[in-house]
Amino acid sequence: MPGVLTRVEACIPALRRYAVALLRNPQDADDLVHDCLVRALGRLHTIRDETDVRPWLFAIMHNLFISQLRQAKLRGNTAPLSEQTEAASSLSPGQEAHLQWGDLMRGLYTLPEEQRTVLLLVAVEDLSYADVAKVLDVPIGTVMSRLSRARERLRRIMEGEAQPPLRRVK
Amino acid sequence: MTGPDRPVTEEELHAYVDEQLDPGRGQAVERYLRDHSEAAQTVAAWAAQRRQIRASLAHWSKEPLPPKLDLIRLVESRLLRRRTRWPIAASIVLALALGGSAGWFFAAGQPVNRTQHAMSVLGQQAIATFMVYANDPHHPIEVSASEREHLVQWLSNRLKRPVVLPDLTAAGYHLLGGRLLATERGSAAALLMYENATGDRLGIVVRPMAPELKAPQTDVSERAVNGCIWIEKGLGFGVVAEAPDEAIDRISDLVRAQAKEAA
Repeated sequence: MPGVLTRVEACIPALRRYAVALLRNPQDADDLVHDCLVRALGRLHTIRDETDVRPWLFAIMHNLFISQLRQAKLRGNTAPLSEQTEAASSLSPGQEAHLQWGDLMRGLYTLPEEQRTVLLLVAVEDLSYADVAKVLDVPIGTVMSRLSRARERLRRIMEGEAQPPLRRVK
Repeated sequence: MTGPDRPVTEEELHAYVDEQLDPGRGQAVERYLRDHSEAAQTVAAWAAQRRQIRASLAHWSKEPLPPKLDLIRLVESRLLRRRTRWPIAASIVLALALGGSAGWFFAAGQPVNRTQHAMSVLGQQAIATFMVYANDPHHPIEVSASEREHLVQWLSNRLKRPVVLPDLTAAGYHLLGGRLLATERGSAAALLMYENATGDRLGIVVRPMAPELKAPQTDVSERAVNGCIWIEKGLGFGVVAEAPDEAIDRISDLVRAQAKEAA
């Protein structure tokens, strides 16, 4: 099995993709991944040879993300980070294009945070249900019910039964 | 019912979409979907969602990483981060304060505890390693300092710790490179070899120890070789050279301060 640093390195692109999906802003996402890696480096010695570092890294990042959200709420700032920074964002045109998401993605952001994270970890990051339960520190039954609710809500949105609020549409 | 004919659950429909279905249940789920067109539509919709979300985000795992997410650079910058004179000064004071009590580690007649044993093993390995490799004219190291990134990555991987390469230019030494060492437990340790302008060599041995171990700086020596060893946060260090004690002490302070900043 490759060394631990090599295994961590292999996960960075996926961590970045997940962070962009959470924050909808590449700069905020890179900050989050950066903090996650710094924290992971400080705990590298807790990793065993056979440990799968992927859920471990996602768990570190999830916890950082949650504490960021909590701090934002304490500051009375409840808007998603992407909306706070949208005006000041300095995205390259290429990056901008990759954040022009369709109806389904806009629907995804009308879901409750906890449902969205489960769907992203399962459907995009290919984590097993058991690993998602570990990352989020909830029972596996909770993972399944959040996944089920997320998918059903998205399906109804896409079938037009419930229109997503339009205020976030650019 | 637990056999292949047990009823298909909603969990299994999700698992089918997510390619996490237990092997052996695929046929049962596919048969179920053939017989239940509404369920089949639902599953098709879920699968379509999955494909679309993946496609929308795919770009972000393919874009080249920005420098701030370069892992090797991060390992290195943990060392270089905002260096002030104060931590070094503080560690010198600490070393002086502890100097008087350091000898007890090897005092005869004391019961040997884990820390004592660890320090004794560390001291022996540091001195022996230096004697063997510092005097080798051809291959004192395995990986040269010119491949700095590779050296950091390789040693960090093998030691399962972020290994920093201390900067000893302030003491007149430059890094030649490093090599992997074997411990008697079958784990990996590392030797970093340095050289000064007159060709004198100095070695730093880095050896992971039990995480709870900690021991203050202690002098070790064997014939002309002098050294300082200590354990900080479960990482053992040995600084060894054919040099006077004062020089070794000064360099140990540099190493300790830089390792502390990186931790």
